[in-house]
Amino acid sequence: MVDLEKLRTVAKETISRDDVKYLIGWRQGTYGFRVTPCFIEEPGEAEQLIFSPLCTNNLASYLIVTEKLPLPRGEKPDTRKVAVMVKGCDSRAVVQQLIEQGIKREELYIIGCPCEGVLDLKKVEAKFPHILDPVAAQWGKDKIIFQLPEGVVEVPREEVLAQKCLDCRDPNPVIADITLGEEIEAWGNGEYQDVKELEAKSAEERWAFWEDKFSSCIRCYSCRNVCPMCYCKDCILDRLNPSWIYRSTNISENTAFHLSRAFHLAGRCIECGECERVCPVDIPLMKLNQKFSKEVEEKYGYRPGIDPEAKPLQSSYRPDDKEDFIL
Amino acid sequence: MNNKPKIGVYVCHCGINISHTVDVEAVAEFASQLPNVRVAREYSYMCSDPGQALIREDIKNEGLNRVVVASCSPRMHELTFRKTLAEAGLNPYYLEMANIREHCSWVHGDREKATAKAKRLVAAAAVKARLLEPLQEKEVDVEPASLIIGAGIAGIQAALDIAEAGFKVYLVEKTPSVGGRMSQLDKTFPTLDCSACILTPKMVDVASHPNIELLTYSQVEDVSGYVGNFDVKVRKKARYVDMDKCTGCGVCAQECRLTGRIPSEFDEGMGKRAAIYLPFPQAVPAKYTIDPERCLMLTRGKCGKSPKCVDACGTGAINFEQEDEIVEFKVGSIIVATGFDVFDASRKPEYGYNDYENVITGLELERLVSASGPTGGDILIGKGDDAYVPKDIAFIKCVGSRDKSVGNEYCSRVCCMYTAKLAHLLTEKIPDANVRVYYMDVRAFGKGFEEFYDRVRREGVRYIRGNPSEVFKRGDKLVVKAENTLTSTPVEDEVDLVVLAVGLEPRRDAREIIDILRLSQSGDRFYMEAHPKLAPVDTATDGVFLAGCAQGPKDIPDTVAQAKGAASSALVLLSSGKVKVQAQVSHINEDTCRGCGYCVEICPYSAIELVTVNQFGHEALVARVNDALCKGCGACVAGCFSGSAQQKSFMDGQILPQIAALGVMR
Repeated sequence: MVDLEKLRTVAKETISRDDVKYLIGWRQGTYGFRVTPCFIEEPGEAEQLIFSPLCTNNLASYLIVTEKLPLPRGEKPDTRKVAVMVKGCDSRAVVQQLIEQGIKREELYIIGCPCEGVLDLKKVEAKFPHILDPVAAQWGKDKIIFQLPEGVVEVPREEVLAQKCLDCRDPNPVIADITLGEEIEAWGNGEYQDVKELEAKSAEERWAFWEDKFSSCIRCYSCRNVCPMCYCKDCILDRLNPSWIYRSTNISENTAFHLSRAFHLAGRCIECGECERVCPVDIPLMKLNQKFSKEVEEKYGYRPGIDPEAKPLQSSYRPDDKEDFIL
Repeated sequence: MNNKPKIGVYVCHCGINISHTVDVEAVAEFASQLPNVRVAREYSYMCSDPGQALIREDIKNEGLNRVVVASCSPRMHELTFRKTLAEAGLNPYYLEMANIREHCSWVHGDREKATAKAKRLVAAAAVKARLLEPLQEKEVDVEPASLIIGAGIAGIQAALDIAEAGFKVYLVEKTPSVGGRMSQLDKTFPTLDCSACILTPKMVDVASHPNIELLTYSQVEDVSGYVGNFDVKVRKKARYVDMDKCTGCGVCAQECRLTGRIPSEFDEGMGKRAAIYLPFPQAVPAKYTIDPERCLMLTRGKCGKSPKCVDACGTGAINFEQEDEIVEFKVGSIIVATGFDVFDASRKPEYGYNDYENVITGLELERLVSASGPTGGDILIGKGDDAYVPKDIAFIKCVGSRDKSVGNEYCSRVCCMYTAKLAHLLTEKIPDANVRVYYMDVRAFGKGFEEFYDRVRREGVRYIRGNPSEVFKRGDKLVVKAENTLTSTPVEDEVDLVVLAVGLEPRRDAREIIDILRLSQSGDRFYMEAHPKLAPVDTATDGVFLAGCAQGPKDIPDTVAQAKGAASSALVLLSSGKVKVQAQVSHINEDTCRGCGYCVEICPYSAIELVTVNQFGHEALVARVNDALCKGCGACVAGCFSGSAQQKSFMDGQILPQIAALGVMR
């Protein structure tokens, strides 16, 4: 487990460095179980930082959406490092961004936080509704310990853990300049049980399932905007000429949107589950992403965001690649 | 210039190829009503001179600025009609073709429906024609030199032709000597010319020609660049023998501690050589090479007190310190003549090639028959005192050819005739031999082949139709088990020697050249030509040509003919001195490009690179296409997430309206 004192000391040291611009971390939110990302620029602010099962946000998303305002002539861009706290899955996003040249390694300082699984706030808030005071949580052995206003409550881990964490294979950061706390033994088996259950159904049943889910989509694009791997300056799904997808929210356009999005993530999705977490209408987007992850892993033995030296799946080729999907 | 689209639509009958299923008059009538269409005509052969004249006239008289030709595949006549446009003073890229033959008349039966489909295809083409943009073809200079990979008879012939025409040739050969497979043969069918006698002079010519730079014991490592301007990197492997000092006297090989202990590749393992060797007596260059995998000095660092070859060499040519050398040069064209491997007979275990020493392959028999072979031309099976002259001999044909079970569906084209030749040579060398040939079919298709086959049968060689199921040992004899399918009788034939007429296969390392030159393979795994009929020596990579068995099984005359064809294709390039490069190249919108580099990795022609640009004071990576290298394959377009890569003439903004006009999309 990450020691808070240690975390804050490291953060203080980091932010005091001359070559660090700011640090992206988590701090307690304003109410209930909410934890919010924060950008720390002064050593004094490091006291706010926390790391707990409530730190769900993937902070790697912020690395690539930094706005680069036009610079006055003669002014040099600020190329100091950005320090970022990452969980296992977040670190895979960083690696994949490095592979896709979205960021430069020398412009990053990565603080790795081994993670025992984060919570699904929808599950937690269903258990403890209407709590307004800020709540802290920490990991216990096979359980999560909440400091609720009425006292300490322990809940079995499986009951509140996010779906994606139940089968986690990468609890430890795969890339880091400094790692806080002990390494954790992975518990996931990579069997894609969730996907297999869906695959076992007939085509009609699967279509009915997705038709139901997609038809509720309001096309808020939260899933795209939160995704650490969606970074095109001009998203093809937003484009008007040519217009690949119409803006109307109907089953046809919604399906086209979600399938395009999933295809664009094939071999790139690092399974952080942010899309599913932020979806206001609870579309199980990870099932779609995981289907692709499964295909990619089974066919090509490829898992994105593991090796920064690896070539991207879509642009690498081996003579013995499987071709059985070609009709 | 007023660029309001004025389209001319030309619907071709293609004799009756199109008009028998498509009502071309109705299509033309329909086309004339389409927006922006000024004229629409039909004609029996648009590609003919009067057909093209029709288009030229209309461009002049009607002021057309876009042309739609509804005929065959653009692969067939796009270039023809582009030229027509250019002749009439119009940019050739204002042409759009609607394929109403391959995509319509040839594949449909119902006239009414086919006509309706042809109308849609024409309407879609007209919509796209409206959106076409003029493109400029660029010209680049051609480096007046050629690279030839493989110095078998194909490579040798092509090298001599190009060198004679006055251009520099780099002839690269993997093994220590030129000559290839043909040098292993004894006689050639059907004329029974001595193979060495007709090949050796050419080998010598290649070595002495002032325009040919011979790089033996060398391999092509890398080729970059594009047609007319290839940059080639060749690895000259260390021979550990100084080529300038070696006189080829051969004392070193006699003295080598391993003399007579290493199977000779040239003799198909039947003869033995030393660790320092000349592959065969007529080898060119006549310089010795040390086998780095066998030489004691090179493998163990020690060879007795001192290496005997060094002691024996009078000129001090041996140098164990020698290292591989990388040679780099530029060429304008490349000919791939890497030849073939023979089928590995152990993949047909039922014929017992691994189990019995008297089951041999055709190429092994070739070495036995040869006067330069391990037995000096005597047909002796077995070793030492046990060696015997076989009397009953059976050939089995189509071993590894026409055989789906080993993945080779094709006919190897030479086995029928080399079997006949070897059968003839056996009856000549062993007058009382009883030779039979087990066959599925006899394919004697070439000039003089049937006559030769006839002659061999008259000489007493028995042809038995049947594909043997098994070869096994019974006592001292081998039994060939088959069914004579002409008489429907089972046969168990006791013989002394079984010769497997093994087929030809692509080189086992064929992949290396594919990766270096970006070639394609056809279904049989040989290198694929650009068009089976009209471009049989070209490849999909401009400036790269094929010769000989690298492209598919061939006999010597066909190989030489193809080599001469490849040489002349290469010469067309070299002598014109200029080459036009693709105009329908890809283009990347740097404003939306994120610089992820996917396209750089995807591009099979290394035509895209990431460059750093200044975007409002910030450094940003963006992809940029080198127009001279781009072949317009569109792989980057498909791979780009943001749609920043677009191929000219095939841009989203041009294709989507075209698809919409087909009526399949809003």
